[in-house]
Amino acid sequence: MCEVGCGKHDHRSADPAAVEMLAIADREQYATQWSRYEQQQPQCSYGQLGTCCRICSMGPCRIDPFGNGPTQGVCGATADTIVARNLARMAAVGSSSHSDHGRKAALLLKAVATGANTNYRLTDTVKLTAVADRLGIATDGRSFPEVAGDVADAALNCFGKQDDEPIIFLQKFMPKRRYEHLKKMEQTLLESTGATTGLLPRGIDREAVDILHRTHFGCDADPLSLIAQTIRCSLADGWGGSLIATSVQDILLGTPTIKSIQANLGVLEVESVNVVVHGHEPILSAKIVEMAQEPEIRLLAVAAGAKRVNVVGLCCTGNEVLLRQGVGMAGNEAHSELAIMTGAVDAMIVDVQCIYPALADLASCFHTRFITTSDQAKIPGAIHIQFHEDQADTISRTILKEAIAAFPRRNPARIHIPHHTATAIVGFTVEEILKALGGTPAPLIDLIVKGTIKGVAGIVGCNNVKVQQDSFHRTLTTELIKRDILVIGTGCWAVGAAKAGLMDLSAQELAGDGLKSVCTSLGIPPVLHMGSCVDCSRMLVLAGAIAEHLDVDISQLPLVGSAPEWTTEKAVAIGAYFVGSGIPVHLWPVPPILGGAAVTRILTQDAKEVLGGYFFVEEDPIITADKMEAVIMERRAALGI
Amino acid sequence: MKKVFVDYKKCLACKSCETACAVEQHPSHTLFGALGDTRTQINVRVLGVEHEAFPLSCRHCDPADCLDACPSGAISRDEGSGAVLLNPDLCKACAMCAMVCPFDAIAFKQTHRARYGRDVAYKCDLCNDRIKKGGTPACVEACHSGALVYGDFDRIRGDRAVSGLKCYLLGKHDALPPLVELFRELRRKECLRRRGGE
Repeated sequence: MCEVGCGKHDHRSADPAAVEMLAIADREQYATQWSRYEQQQPQCSYGQLGTCCRICSMGPCRIDPFGNGPTQGVCGATADTIVARNLARMAAVGSSSHSDHGRKAALLLKAVATGANTNYRLTDTVKLTAVADRLGIATDGRSFPEVAGDVADAALNCFGKQDDEPIIFLQKFMPKRRYEHLKKMEQTLLESTGATTGLLPRGIDREAVDILHRTHFGCDADPLSLIAQTIRCSLADGWGGSLIATSVQDILLGTPTIKSIQANLGVLEVESVNVVVHGHEPILSAKIVEMAQEPEIRLLAVAAGAKRVNVVGLCCTGNEVLLRQGVGMAGNEAHSELAIMTGAVDAMIVDVQCIYPALADLASCFHTRFITTSDQAKIPGAIHIQFHEDQADTISRTILKEAIAAFPRRNPARIHIPHHTATAIVGFTVEEILKALGGTPAPLIDLIVKGTIKGVAGIVGCNNVKVQQDSFHRTLTTELIKRDILVIGTGCWAVGAAKAGLMDLSAQELAGDGLKSVCTSLGIPPVLHMGSCVDCSRMLVLAGAIAEHLDVDISQLPLVGSAPEWTTEKAVAIGAYFVGSGIPVHLWPVPPILGGAAVTRILTQDAKEVLGGYFFVEEDPIITADKMEAVIMERRAALGI
Repeated sequence: MKKVFVDYKKCLACKSCETACAVEQHPSHTLFGALGDTRTQINVRVLGVEHEAFPLSCRHCDPADCLDACPSGAISRDEGSGAVLLNPDLCKACAMCAMVCPFDAIAFKQTHRARYGRDVAYKCDLCNDRIKKGGTPACVEACHSGALVYGDFDRIRGDRAVSGLKCYLLGKHDALPPLVELFRELRRKECLRRRGGE
C-alpha cells in the first residue's frame, strides 16, 4: 500500500516507495523485472520441479512427474538423482560466490600486510588480534602486519589446501559440540553404509570442485550422498568463505558499530550528485564512500552545480557501507531498477552478484552512468571501469568524476524521488551485541532461559519477483517479534525490515511484552541488522558463542532460520549451512526439489535426525511464524526451559 | 475421428511442442535451421491461463468457421484425415478466418510457404503428411508429460470415462503424486497473488 502518495495497493510490492515508482514505470512503459516475469509465463514446470537434466549431451532429459512417461534419463538417472545433482550444483555456485568474495578480501589482506597495497590499511587491529587468537596465531610481541600476514595465509590456506583435515576457520570457529557431532555423523555413516560420506569441509575450493566432479556424467547418483556433499560444500561457505569475507573486511575496513541510518529511495537528494553503489564487495564501495568526502571531489561536485556527492547503498554492498560508514540505503534488490527510474541517480556503480543485466538498458533511457567494475561481472551496455585494489583511490576518484560529469545532464522533468525513508538502528555485529550485553552472551541466555525472549530467529534473503516485494519479510518479522522472538538477520531482508521501520526504536512497540522490555532497557530495536549476506557468518558465530557458553550443540538452541523471499543460489548455500549447523530453515518460494520425493523427504524430514537442522516450506507468513515458534518451543521443551 | 486431445493438467509448459512444430514446419527440418529464422512457422502456442498452461493450436473443427468464412477458397478439409488445411497461394490475408476462429489459432506472417514476399495466414495442419502415413503430429510426439494425445476420439473418451467412473463408483482416484499436487496448488496461489487476488 502506498501510504503517503496514491493510496494504491500493488501486488508487486509492499513498499510504498516502490508502489509509487511502479506507477511511473507503468505510465512510461519501462520494462521491469515484473513485466519481464509476466512475459515469461507460463514457466517450465520441469525446471521448477528440478527434474530437467542438462548435464550431458545425450540429454536434455526430463522425468514425467505424473509417472506415466519416462522415469529415468537416458543414462538411467532417476528423478531423485537429477534433483539432488541440480541442487548440489546450486549450492556449489552459491558457496563459490560467497567464497570467491572472501578470497579477494584475504588476498587484499595479504597485500596490505606485506605492504604491496598502500590504498588500504589494517583498520581494526582489535578484530585482527581476536581473529588471530581464535586461529591460534601468535600475537604477543608481533607487529600487526606480521599477524595480518599470518591470518591471510591461514585464510588462503582454507581455499587451496589439499589434505583431508577440516579447514582451520571451521575448526576454530565452529562450536566444539557441533564439530564433534558432524565428525561422529561421518563415522556413523561410514559404519552403517560402508561408504565414506564427508560432512566437514576439507577445502573451500575443493568442496565446490568436488560437487562439479561428482555431478559430472556418470558419477554420484545417490541422493543422500549428493545431499551430504551439498551440506559439506555449504559449510565451507558459512564457516569458511563467508566467515573469512566478514572477518577480513572487518579487519581492513573496520568492524561495524551501532549507528542510525535512513533507508528507502527518499535518501536520494535532488540537489546532490547521487551515486548508488550496488553489488556485494565493500572493497570498492567503501572506497567510493571515502573518496566522496575528499575536498577535490567535493569541489568538483559544487562546480557542477551540486550540493555534494551523496553516496547511497543498494543490495549487500549497500549493507556493508551502511554498517561501517553510515550511508543512506536506497533499497534492496528489487529497488535497483526503481532507483534508476527516479531520474536522480547520476551513477550506479556495481561490483558482483545480484545485478540485473537489464539495468544497462534502463540506464540508457536516463542520464545515469551505469558502471561495471569487476572482470567477473561485465554487462553489455555498461561503462566498464576496471577496478584494481592497488589503485583503489585513483579508480574511485575516476568513477566519482564520471558521476559528477553526468549530474548536469539530468532531465529535471523526469526526476521523481519518492519521499519515503525510515530510520533504522543498524550495525549489530556479534562484537556490538556482546558489548551491549556487557561482554558475554550470559544476559541474553538468562533472558531466553527465563522466557522473556523465547528464542532467536535469523532471517536472510533476497527479493523474489514471485513474492510481493518485502511483504513476507515485513509480516513474518512483525509476527515473530510480537511473539517475543528476537529477530536478527542480513541481506535484502535486513534492508526490507529497515525500510519498513522495524529497525527503528519505535518498533519496540510492536514487540511482545518480554522482548519489548529487553529492547527498551538496552535501547535497541527488536529487529537487528547484522550485515550483508556474507555476514550470515555473524549469525553462525553468535549461535556458536551461545552454544559454547552453555556447552551444548547449536542444534539444541531455540534458534530458527528463514529465507522468505529467496532468489539466488547463494541462498541455497546459506540455507544448507544453517541446516548443517543444526538450525531448521524455512524457505519460500519452494526450491526446485518437489520432483524428487526422496530428496524432499531427506531435506525436510531425515535431515532433522542426522543434522538437527532441516528445511520446511510455507507460503503464508503467519503460519510460517507459527511453525518457527513451534520449532523454538520444541527446543525449549527439550532443554527443559 | 482422430483428434489431438489436451490433458491440460499435465501440461508442464516446457514448450517442447512449440519447438517440435517449428522443426517440423521448417524446410530444413532441423532445430538449427529454424533458429533465428523469422519465417519459421510455429502453429502451437503454450499459453498461460492463470496458473494453468495450455498448448493451443487449431482444433480442426467440423464444420469449421474459418473454412466457411474464407472468401478465396484457401481453406479446405482433407476428407481422409479431417485436417483443416490452408493453401497460402490462394490466401489473400483478409483475416476473415482469424476473426471467426473461436480459438485464435490463425496468425499471419511471411512464412516459408508464402510466395511473392507477402504475409499469409498460417495455422496447424495436423501434420497431415505424417498422420496420413500413420504417424502422429510432431507436437504430440514431442510431449513428454502426456498432455498432448493424438488418437481415436472414442478410445480416448472411453479411457477418460472409465477413469472418471473408477473414482465415482469405486472411490479409486487417479490421483497426482502428492508433491506434484502440492506444486500445482502452490503455483495456483502464486498466480492468484500476482493477480492481486489475495
